[in-house]
Amino acid sequence: MKVPLLVIGGGLSGLAAAIRAARFTPDVLLVEKHSRLGGLNSYFYRNKILFETGLHAITNYAEPDNKKAPLNRLLRQLKLPRKELTFCQQLQSEIVFRDCQSLLFSNDFELFRTEINTKFPKAVDHFHRLLQFLHTFDPFLPAPFRSTKKFLAEMIPDPLLIEMMLCPLMYYGSSHEQDMDLSQFAIMFRAIFQEGMFRPRGTMKDFIELIDTHYLNLGGTRRLCCGVKNIIVQQNRAMGVELESGEIIECNHIVSTIGHAETFRLIAGHRVPEEKLPRLGFIESIFHVKEPSPSPLPADRTIIFFNDGHRFSYASPVDFVDFSSGVICFPANFRGLPAKSMREIRSTHLANGSKWQNLAASPAEYTMQKQAAAQLSVQLLENMIGSFWSNIVYVDTFTPVTIERYTSKMGGAIYGSPNKIKDGNIGFSNLFLAGTDQGFLGIIGSMLSGVSIVNQHILPKL
Amino acid sequence: MTQEDIKNLILEIIEDIDDEADFAGLDPDQPLRDQLDLDSMDFLDIVMELRKRHKLQIPEEDYPQLATLNSCVAYLLPLLKNA
Repeated sequence: MKVPLLVIGGGLSGLAAAIRAARFTPDVLLVEKHSRLGGLNSYFYRNKILFETGLHAITNYAEPDNKKAPLNRLLRQLKLPRKELTFCQQLQSEIVFRDCQSLLFSNDFELFRTEINTKFPKAVDHFHRLLQFLHTFDPFLPAPFRSTKKFLAEMIPDPLLIEMMLCPLMYYGSSHEQDMDLSQFAIMFRAIFQEGMFRPRGTMKDFIELIDTHYLNLGGTRRLCCGVKNIIVQQNRAMGVELESGEIIECNHIVSTIGHAETFRLIAGHRVPEEKLPRLGFIESIFHVKEPSPSPLPADRTIIFFNDGHRFSYASPVDFVDFSSGVICFPANFRGLPAKSMREIRSTHLANGSKWQNLAASPAEYTMQKQAAAQLSVQLLENMIGSFWSNIVYVDTFTPVTIERYTSKMGGAIYGSPNKIKDGNIGFSNLFLAGTDQGFLGIIGSMLSGVSIVNQHILPKL
Repeated sequence: MTQEDIKNLILEIIEDIDDEADFAGLDPDQPLRDQLDLDSMDFLDIVMELRKRHKLQIPEEDYPQLATLNSCVAYLLPLLKNA
């Protein structure tokens, strides 16, 4: 079998890449190792209830008439009519540095601006200068890593404000410890504070099915439970792949969305690129809570990004989990969502991937540690949002091990390698990288990554 | 194809990219991108649609010749004369 384009990985960047190419050449083949599409943003069933895996909120909200906004550009590129999707916007979210300060923000940027005016009156002019800078800065120009922390320290004389701004941006899109690339900061600042957050009205399953159907209607093909054993390379050209089933697929081009190192692991005779910086792992718990709970859960917060005290540390923890900061998501608190019988709360913290990996060899201890982590997370959350422990009817926890098992992301690092390959070029003439390790993160970002790699490297040569 | 056919073809392709594109007051000698709020990604769609519909391979160095409606007509007329 021979195809013009083979896409490895059926996550959202792979699906977007495949759709983009299939619009102009239908014989695209997408292969996904797992039994479901969606990658990090997929779903599963427990007790006949559907759970979403990765989604808290989608960033980059834009009104339909804002043609230049990433969301609308993406939909046009995929030829997915916006009318077919119903989006629900966040109510409002909050950054809470406990016993210190808090900042509200929503999809109306004025709220964030007012909060900063009121709570950081001395930094108002500096914040304004930052906005002016971001307005003219082009984050998509190729540039070497530039430290956001250093940049902000020179611009804003208030370390607390800097850390409070960085907390959500790092949690929702930094693969880098303690700092982020200035371009990534500019992209995330716009995506989260200036554009804002939303989710589809339906489930992630509905969303993925819509995209998948669109792809199939364009004439594309995809195979599930279809792992790639190796990529067949001659000199700097990929000739095709050998699937785990032994079948050989020849192709003219490959877009791999599975990660930089993960792609090299499939190429015999090539060294897996060395990573000098640690990968960041996460642990997430989902709690289903019966209502009414002992104290009413927040009804007007969509996401809470929190940190205990002054200094915010975004780094791979020494221990299994770093409970000193995290994210709380209330998936029901989006405008216009259908009511559900059960309230869901999700919590996320940084986790040490290799510690969890080592523990996984002893299943009993691993399970115990996982339960303990969920319990500690609840205690922490209760300090902020009131008690709900006694009303929990269901808990599920994903560790970095769970994430690696289902997504094959090394170390369970959802944001991938700390080093990004922004042009997707990994040294081959017809094999390119898209998705997490290309560097655009989040659902809209990763889908735009798939689209732009196909635009740049594949369409001109088809 | 006549000049008029080519104009219509381009507008049809753009309408297909953005069904809310507003052609009222479109100046055929001014860049399409600025007037219609299109970006370089949308622009690539015009090239790709021409390829798909009329098997035209437009080399990258010729893209600037598709900037305005009139320059599209001038560039495509000889290529599509038998279409």
